[in-house]
Amino acid sequence: MLPVPCVLRSISTCLRFPKLVAINKLLSQYTVLLSFFLFSELDSHLRAFREKAAAAMPGSDWTPFHLTPGLPPERADIVIVGGGVMGWSVAYWLKRKEQVRNAVRVVVVEKDPTYSQASTVLSAGGIRQQFSLPENIQLSLASADFLKNINEHLNVVNEDPVDLQFNHSGYLFTASENAAHIMEANHKTQMCVGAKVILLSPAQIKERFPWMNTDGVVLASYGLENEGWFDPWTLLNALRRKAISMGVHQCFGEVTGFKSSSHKVETGDGDLLRLKRITHVNVQMPNSLEKQPVECAIVVNTAGANSGRVAEMIGIGHGPKDSMPGIPVPVEPRKRYIYVVHCPDGPGLDSPFLIDYSGVYFRREGLGGNYITGMSPEESEEPDISTLDVDHDFFHNNVWPRLAHRVPAFESLKVSSAWAGYYDYNTFDQNGILGAHPLVNNMYFATGFSGHGLQQSPAVGRAVAELILDGRYTTLDLSALDLKRILYQEPMLERNIV
Amino acid sequence: MLKILIPTIMLFPTIWLTPQKWLWTTTTSHSLIIATFSLTWFNLNTGTGWYTSNEYLAIDPLSTPFLILTCWLLPLMILASQNHMSSEPIKRQQVYLSLMVSLQMLLIMAFGATELIMFYIMFEATLIPTLMIITRWGNQTERLNAGIYFLFYTLMASLPLLVALLSLQVTTGTLSMLILCYSDPMPFFTWSDKIGWMGGLMAFMVKIPLYGVHLWMPKAHVGGPNAGSMVLAAILLKLGGYGMMRITILLDPLTKEMAYPFIILALWGVIMTGSICLRQTDLKSLIAYSSVSHMGLVAAGILIQTPWGFTGAIILMIAHGLVSSALFCLANTTYERTHSRTMVLARGLQMIFPLTATWWFITNLANLALPPLPNLMGEIMIITTMFNWSPYTLILTGLGTLITASYSLYMFLMTQRGPTPSHIMGLTPFHTREHLLITMHLMPVLLLITKPEIMWGWHF
Repeated sequence: MLPVPCVLRSISTCLRFPKLVAINKLLSQYTVLLSFFLFSELDSHLRAFREKAAAAMPGSDWTPFHLTPGLPPERADIVIVGGGVMGWSVAYWLKRKEQVRNAVRVVVVEKDPTYSQASTVLSAGGIRQQFSLPENIQLSLASADFLKNINEHLNVVNEDPVDLQFNHSGYLFTASENAAHIMEANHKTQMCVGAKVILLSPAQIKERFPWMNTDGVVLASYGLENEGWFDPWTLLNALRRKAISMGVHQCFGEVTGFKSSSHKVETGDGDLLRLKRITHVNVQMPNSLEKQPVECAIVVNTAGANSGRVAEMIGIGHGPKDSMPGIPVPVEPRKRYIYVVHCPDGPGLDSPFLIDYSGVYFRREGLGGNYITGMSPEESEEPDISTLDVDHDFFHNNVWPRLAHRVPAFESLKVSSAWAGYYDYNTFDQNGILGAHPLVNNMYFATGFSGHGLQQSPAVGRAVAELILDGRYTTLDLSALDLKRILYQEPMLERNIV
Repeated sequence: MLKILIPTIMLFPTIWLTPQKWLWTTTTSHSLIIATFSLTWFNLNTGTGWYTSNEYLAIDPLSTPFLILTCWLLPLMILASQNHMSSEPIKRQQVYLSLMVSLQMLLIMAFGATELIMFYIMFEATLIPTLMIITRWGNQTERLNAGIYFLFYTLMASLPLLVALLSLQVTTGTLSMLILCYSDPMPFFTWSDKIGWMGGLMAFMVKIPLYGVHLWMPKAHVGGPNAGSMVLAAILLKLGGYGMMRITILLDPLTKEMAYPFIILALWGVIMTGSICLRQTDLKSLIAYSSVSHMGLVAAGILIQTPWGFTGAIILMIAHGLVSSALFCLANTTYERTHSRTMVLARGLQMIFPLTATWWFITNLANLALPPLPNLMGEIMIITTMFNWSPYTLILTGLGTLITASYSLYMFLMTQRGPTPSHIMGLTPFHTREHLLITMHLMPVLLLITKPEIMWGWHF
């Protein structure tokens, strides 16, 4: 690069002709050399200088101490354990309800960034108002309203609008002889609360849905509005994107324990209780030994199928039996299968989400003649929860016969794929558990929805945010679903569990 | 003077040689005894105007209130830190206490200094223990940022002060305050004299803090531990006011014209920071901005250079020191229980802590300058002297008083009144130590109603 021969020639010229002209030429050549050397790297020097200057200005996050990326903050006001749709819904509503920007610091801790085992994304994604408990109907109605206007709520400036692919095809429940009166009573409750559901006789069913075999069906209830199915992954990401844009911190890590302070109090009856208050949440970083205790004021347990385990970490359930500390939070994972089948001569585009009295259900998936089907197994035949492997024999032995009986077109179908997911199953009464635990004052629960959590998540998020920031329910009164019913052993049974 | 300073220095061996079990008890009672002895300084009865003097340290009616406040606050700071330090290893507790005692020693020497250069050295030296306390034992990751802001704001502003002091030494031949009051006013006419005036006062304006250069203060308070906030609010801010009062003796004729923009800035700051208080969600941040608001009034009072202005400034500084420190202690008690400083998560505390609600009530009433508390005395004197200087300032000061009242009531209503959320039902009850701490803050404020002359400075 250095033109050495030029230099040598110049020097030789200079030696042979020691005149001012030669020296001038030498000097000019040296200057050209030097400037060539300097200016060729000027660009990269300038770029490096600009980067360093930008890092030194306020507003950049360069620090001389290397902090692990992805570590949660040392202090937060509210830590939400579990980053599924319920957790992000609570986070979004907390930010939406705060009256001053950044009034509360919210951190959502999620174990698995790929959401490979999360119930949210493995769900069938249906939403219905056909419940028997009025609170459930209200929750679904409020959530349907949220989902229909989702871009008013979750739109982020300069980003694509949210498209939930909400198919408003409705649910169709069928009832046999001995359950028809239950269906009629439920229908009355649903109409009272405001759901648009009609009852159909077998003839009317045949008129609307000629592909159905009404053998054994005495009554059916069909939802006309606000019922159908949507894409849960889109809802989760929309909530997450909006919440992060409002200032919620996301942290990928596993909650391994809590630090708490406790003190003994005496109740009016003279019993000694130990009240605990969570002071720190121990978060373990993924694939690392590094732990960060996050100091917090409130913990929200939305860990879904793992909520029971998280509650055990603080000691709920450890105590003498039949005493308040000894009653655990009765949420455990239950595995459910979903099979995707292809049937070109199937029910068609207007088929609803059919739920038969035998337990089997199916819905249309997409426009290419694919359907999603499944069935809740009997209590005694619950599959093993240690992995999410699919049992295809279950389909052949249990699901297909019943499905083919109800919809003759399904006698010839092909299973294209299948997956399994966990229900956060509330073994007590299969309904959601909301509210704080009396013995651990600052742990709120929003879990145990047993298969209808996704459809109620927007309204539940709002309810929990109201509990935390206002101290009570202001829009929907959900005290029927409070955690205390578990401790008083008063079940709120829901009859229409799929 | 030495009979207070030497026992303070002897606190160092006390800290390092006491058995662990008695560490906090011993240091608290030792510093309390020093504080009680410092009350003898109120008995000022010689003719020279300077008392308990040797060549380097002396007190006069201006520095006495600040010195007694400093000595009084050390046992309170130790009492306040006892709980959150109990989980640390013993060596670290001893280092923490040593930092506080060294800060105390430097503050006594700063307020007692007779020479302006010695005052400057002590002024700068107090930055180091405070920086260590804030960055090591502070509350969040932002404490590093807080420490940097704190250190560099004050350093940047005080280097010109050094230059100004040295050049003044060359001109006048001495910087001893014992002699300076008898010197002739110096001719200050040129532009460089004006810049020198700025240099002399800028450091103190940053320390007070004046509105435009106040940014370090909310950060330092939020990022620091409880005792750090206490000493910062109660004493370190007053160093700025005291320094301003001392140095304006030298800068006299120029102050009449040069102080104009800074007085207006201070009064504007009262309103601005008061309005910011109404929007705060973090309790400590609210109290920090309230401090800036009160000290804006103090800065205006000092820059006016009238007897009422000075007197009002001293009274307001003493009263504000005690009341602000009490507010920080109360906020810390909430923080230690709920682990959050957000006001929306700790409301309705009156139902569960009724006696503490009384302390909150009295402290907030003091903060909003309720008569007959000394806070009102100071504010009224400053407002009156400002009105005398220009009637239009009444708009600013009156509006400022209104906003002060509204954010103090806002603070009280948000934390004490309202429905108690269910998640704070199970909080631990208050300890006697905490009640004692607040009482020892409020008792001097209430007693000063009866004899405020002792803190009126030279004009009593």
